[in-house]
Order: sequence, then C-alpha cells, then structure tokens
Amino acid sequence: MQKLSRLILASGLAACLPAAGADVPAARLLVKPLLCVTDHNVASCPMTFDIRWKSPAPVEYCLNDSALATPLRCWPKVDSGEHVQKRDVSEPFVYWLGPPGGTQRAAEVKIDVLRLDSADRRRERRTRHVWDVL
Amino acid sequence: MVERSFPFIMRATLKLLAAASWAAAALAHASDPDVMAAIAAPAPASNPAPLNLAAPEHSWHLGAAFGYGTRSNPLIQSDDIPVIVDVDISWYGKHWFFDNGDIGFTFTDGSRATTSLVARLNDDRVFFGKTSTRFVNFAYTGFGATGPLVTTSGAPIPEPVQVKPPDRDYAIELGVESLIDTDWGLVTLGAFHDVSGTHGGYELSTRFSRRWTLGRLSLAPTVGVSYKSANLNDYYWGVHKDEASFALPEYHADAGFNFEGGLVTNYYLTRNLRVALSVNYEQLADTIAASPLAEDDHVLAWFSGLAWSF
Repeated sequence: MQKLSRLILASGLAACLPAAGADVPAARLLVKPLLCVTDHNVASCPMTFDIRWKSPAPVEYCLNDSALATPLRCWPKVDSGEHVQKRDVSEPFVYWLGPPGGTQRAAEVKIDVLRLDSADRRRERRTRHVWDVL
Repeated sequence: MVERSFPFIMRATLKLLAAASWAAAALAHASDPDVMAAIAAPAPASNPAPLNLAAPEHSWHLGAAFGYGTRSNPLIQSDDIPVIVDVDISWYGKHWFFDNGDIGFTFTDGSRATTSLVARLNDDRVFFGKTSTRFVNFAYTGFGATGPLVTTSGAPIPEPVQVKPPDRDYAIELGVESLIDTDWGLVTLGAFHDVSGTHGGYELSTRFSRRWTLGRLSLAPTVGVSYKSANLNDYYWGVHKDEASFALPEYHADAGFNFEGGLVTNYYLTRNLRVALSVNYEQLADTIAASPLAEDDHVLAWFSGLAWSF
C-alpha cells in the first residue's frame, strides 16, 4: 500500500511540476493539442501545435523536441514566448524548454499517441453481455 | 431473487478477482526501482536522443464507463435493464484469454485470422432476471354487460389469474470463434453449443464491424446475424407444458435468425478518458416474437457516458 501511495504521489508530482533542475529557473510550458489518435486507417496525425511558455523572470531559453537534436527555436532574455509548429505525429514525443546548449529542462510536455488498433486481434472482439455496451 | 442475483454476483466476483490480480501485478511492477525513478525523478539531464515513449500494450485491460443507458427487455412483465456502470476487464495471454466473463484458448493465430475455443454464458437468460408477477382479469364485454370468460370446456376462468414469466437458467456454452481481418473490416464467426445441459441447443453467428477514426473521434458500426437452434429458442422462449395456463398458452419456439446492427462512438478527451455513445438494435426471430413470453420483437440497447481505460 505504501508503494502504491508513493507511486500515486510520484505520478501526481511528475504531472504537475515543471521539470526544472537546481540551477534552471522554472517555467510554465503550455502545448495544445496533446493527443494523437491512430488506427489501422490512420497511421499518423497531421497536427498544428500551439506552444506557449512563461517564466517569472527573463531567461534565455530554447524550445526543444525530444525527437530532434537541435532546438526548434531560441529566445533572447524574455519572460515568455510563443511558437507554432506543424508536424505529422506517429510516435509520442516531448517538447521541452531549457537554456541554449544545455541539457537541463525547465519544463516539458509530452505529446501522447493513442493507438486504437492492436497487433492482438482478440482485443477487437466484442462480447455481447448485457452490461457490455461499449 | 438469490437465484437471479447469483450469476451477476459470480461475474462480479470474477471481475473483482481479475481486478485484484491486475492491481497486484501493477504493484509488483511499481516496486521496480527503475520504474519508480522514471516517474519520480525530474526530467533527465541528458541530451535528447531517440526515445521510445510509446506505451507498451499490457496483457491486462481494465476500464469502466459511467453514464446511463438501458437494454430493453422483450420478455413480458419485465423491466428494461438499466446500465449505469459498464466494467471492462480482460486479459490476453499467448494462448489463453479472459474477456469480460468469456474464457478462451487461441489455437491458431495467423496474419489474417485468429481462431479460439471459447466458453461463455448464454445471454438470453439475462432477460429473465427482472420479472414480476401480475394478476390478469379475463372478461368479455357485450350487449352492455361484462361477464367472465370461459374455457373451452365451459368452466368460468377464475379471476384474477396469476401470470408470471417462468424461470430460466443460465447455460454454459462452448464453441469456436474466428476473428478474420478483411480489407473492409473485421468478421467474427462463432459456433457455440450448450455444454451445461440447460437447453441442449446451439448458436451460429456472424458479425461484421469496421472502425473509422477521424481525429479524436472513432465510429464503429456493426451488423450481424445469428441462427439459434430450436432447442435453444424453445428453452428460453417456449411455454412448456407444465408452465402453460389460460393466460400463458403452451408454445414451442422453433429455430430462427436474429439480426442486429449497432454503432459505437468514442471521442477521446485524453489517452485514458473518452466520451462514449453506443446503440444496438437486435431484431428477434419471428418464432421468438410470436411467443406468449415476448411482448417485443426487438431489443434496443443504448448507453452514453464517460469511459475510462487504464
């Protein structure tokens, strides 16, 4: 039970707090949308991401994409920024904010991919019990 | 009441056992230090590298939907079946699987088709779980007067007459089920026979379904047909000799075809949460609809609510 409590607490913290390191000022990163739904007829999602960040103090930050080695965009010493990115999404990835050339993250947001199709065909079977309405 | 509740209790117990096993497995997984570190620690301080962030497909599937819906009950003197919570528990191993009460063993799994031996409970019995007794008056009106009806032998019918749908048992059915991928969708073929000695009949069925996904919305229409043998239909929908009365005449149901169509719609709010709307219509075979036990010739089920998948 203690482990379960720790797990729930840790999950909550991971979801709520910016991922700032000790010497990186925290920032708030907002990204929309957050979910791509794929299926047997939809291999990827063409998405336009609206990315905004805000920091309590002016900072020099870069916006990074976990799938790319170089930053998407860097800002001079400012306390907020906006960026729009069009991207075809087929795998989950993370947008993260951090100092130029650094590896520490001030904030990050995961873009999730939900796959409705399954390699296991049995997961597609639908039972017909009275309570099974979905 | 106890007898009627038993199968639901049994199913609920099975689901609880399954849920407990799932929770134990999740807890064991959580005790893995790597997993704890990945969840609790701040973002890794290493340079971005190709990451595998895709969630793995777990053997267990646990879900629940909360909302409101009903399944109509074609049985006389019966209430519709409310659906407030829909719990979804399934587990898939390499060969064995458990799917909301069905237990299966997969013996062939090819690129286009999967065939399994499946044990399940018959669904017709569920309609006999929400019955009530009523008293019916038989009278005729003519020439400005009302009088009692008489039987063919001329004896007046005592009134009121007690009418109560007879009890029926659940049947355990064993059969073969094939799931076949086609270019147009998924075809399900099934052949099941009673192995519990309840009705001694069988059912053959085929169903076709296809899912379309557009953005966060998915639509899955389904059509199907099932053939139920005379033994199966007669056990559930016939009025047997020892049950017959003036109000409920003896009736023998034959074999027949049931047809169904449905639509399941989901709008995904997050990876785990979705708005769900489903509707299903089943046209009962003429031989069932003609039974004195049936007051409707169809079953209509619908549900709308929020569904959570773990």
